[in-house]
Parts: sequence; C-alpha cells; structure tokens
Amino acid sequence: MQRVKTGIKGLDEMLHGGFLPQTANLVEGAPGTGKTTLGMQFIYNGITLYDEPGIILTFEEFPQQYYRDAAAFGWDFKALEREGRLKVIMTSPEVGRLDLEQVGGMIETLTNEMGARRILVDSLSHLEKLTDDPVELRAIQYSFINALKREGLTAVLTKESPALLGAAESEESIAFVVDSYILLRYVEIESAIHKALLVLKLRGSDHAKDIRQFEITSGGIEVQAKFEGREGIMSGSPRLSMADSFVRAFVKKEKP
Amino acid sequence: MATSDDFTARLMNDMDPDLLDFVKTKVNTFIKWDLVRFFHENPNTADTVENIARYAGRNVTAVEPELNELVESGVMEIRHLDEIPVYSLTTDESMRRIVEEFIRACEDRHFRVKAVYHIIRGMR
Repeated sequence: MQRVKTGIKGLDEMLHGGFLPQTANLVEGAPGTGKTTLGMQFIYNGITLYDEPGIILTFEEFPQQYYRDAAAFGWDFKALEREGRLKVIMTSPEVGRLDLEQVGGMIETLTNEMGARRILVDSLSHLEKLTDDPVELRAIQYSFINALKREGLTAVLTKESPALLGAAESEESIAFVVDSYILLRYVEIESAIHKALLVLKLRGSDHAKDIRQFEITSGGIEVQAKFEGREGIMSGSPRLSMADSFVRAFVKKEKP
Repeated sequence: MATSDDFTARLMNDMDPDLLDFVKTKVNTFIKWDLVRFFHENPNTADTVENIARYAGRNVTAVEPELNELVESGVMEIRHLDEIPVYSLTTDESMRRIVEEFIRACEDRHFRVKAVYHIIRGMR
C-alpha cells in the first residue's frame, strides 16, 4: 500500500511505513510537547526528501514564528517559499473555512499552482471558536477535513490538549472524524519529564501499539525505544511494572 | 536665495525615486507603515479587517480606512468570501519588490528619518 512518509526517525516504523495518502492525521498534545515541530518536520521532509510541496495553514500564530522555529532546526522555510515549494498561510478559522468551501479559493489555487501534496493545519482547536454546538462543530470539522482531502492533500492537524500531564477530560468527537490519531504526552519518571508518543488509531492499516519515548533534537523529532518496565505511562505518572518492582527490590542492589 | 526649508526638503528627498513615491503616495501614514511591515513579514496572510487589526494591535476603526487606501494604491488586495471582505498583500510581483525594498531600506536609520519626515509632512 502506498504511504506518505513523515521522514521522522522511528515514526514511520510505528505507522508501518507512513500515513495513508489523502488522509487527515491528528496530533494531539499539551503545549510544548512538539505538535507543531512534528507537523513542520512532516512538511519539510515532504519537500526536501520526497519532492512533495507543502502548505502550512496557521490560525493566529504568525508565519514569522514558523520561519524562526524552523530555522532553529536548520530548515530554511523562507528559501522554500521563494522556490515555490512551501507556503505559510495565516488566516482565521472563519476565513479558512469559507475559503476552502469556495471554488477557486486561495488554498485551492495555491495547491494547484504549487502541486502541493501535504498540509499542516495548526491548530484544528481554533475551529472550536466557530460554534458552541458540538453537533455543528463536528459538521464543520468533517467538512473542513473533506475539503483538504478533495484537494488531494495529506494533512497533519494539530490539537491542543489542556492537561499538561495525563489524559485531558474532553469530548473528543474529532477522533472519529480523522484517519489517524497520535498522542503526545509529558511523562514524569523519577523527577524528570520525558515525552511519550502513542499511535492511537490508523484507519485502514495496522500500527505499533506500544508507547515510545521521543526527543526534540537539534534536527527535529526522533522517536526512540518504548518505555520499558513502566505501567500507566499515559497517566503522566507511571509506576514500575510488577516484574520490575520485584527485580529492583530483590535482585538488583542499588548503589548507595 | 535658498531657505533652510528648501535645504531640508532636498535632503529628505534624497532617496531612490521609486521609494520616495512609495512613501509619499502609498505608505503615507504610520498605520500603513505598520501594516506593510506586518504583511511583508507574514506575506501569505489573508484575513478580515477585525483580525488584521487584532494582529496589528490596533482598533478596527483606525485600520479599516488605511487598509482600503492600501487596496486603492495597489499594495493590498481585497476579495469577498460570502460578502466578508478579506485582505491580503498584492500578488503583483513589481509591487511586492517595492515593498521588499522599502522594508530593507527601513533598516537604515537615515532612511527611516526621511520616511518619518515625509509622513509627518503629509499628515499636515
């Protein structure tokens, strides 16, 4: 099956090769977990490794912030824009939605002109400003995502999670609308904060079910090995598994 | 006999003629200057006047007429989505080049002083 590779070390393996083409892929996490970095890396790798031009659609975050953040990883977004292989568009949720609904809107025109194949929408949470009615919100999200698919785009959509540690308590209707769902979480282990990544869902394909550690390095996100010997990772405060507790208590002698 | 005003005017007009025209006829207020700089830094922004005013940290009443004048002078473009006016920087390459040159020139303090002089004179 054809895949849209993220080019992110360790993530494509978890996704059994990458996202499926023309799908909407949600990345949810607390502030600072790396949602936008993951999305920018998906776009940057698409352009530079796989010759797939991309669009970044931002609601309220200024494009110059993306240029700066990308430059910190050595990704020259301004140069890619000059080459016509990237566009960082800022608009509001209401204008973005209306634009996508229109024939010949800005996003449709740019997609056709650039031959764009990928899009990062940062963040989908802003669509929640358009209505207080959950049924209407789901319809808006569904229509928005379908419009991106109509344009032949494979989308990474970020979503903010209010909880810093552990699972956020909210109605996640968006989880039913998207094709894949990646969770990024902070995890506290022995008084240090680590980051965890879990592929919760990948419609139409198998995927890794384990919870992996990841780091944001100078070159972007790197997904590493799974958390060993811990339980309750997604709670944010994992404990040692029973076997590891036994080993630590009776087998390994801790150095004083 | 040349007066000190003539001398100042000559000194302040000492810049690229295209940029002088741009300052005198297009970016002739401080709000327009802010808006042009914002759209230069964020060139693919397209939004309503309310949101642009928020991005610029100003009120809508102040921003709307300035945006419309920038549209009239060809620096900005306007289109309507469901009758909502949406503003964006012009796609015209030559105008974008002038905007680029203006912003680059503004890095020079002497140029900024001259631009401020023309804006203040224009406001009288």
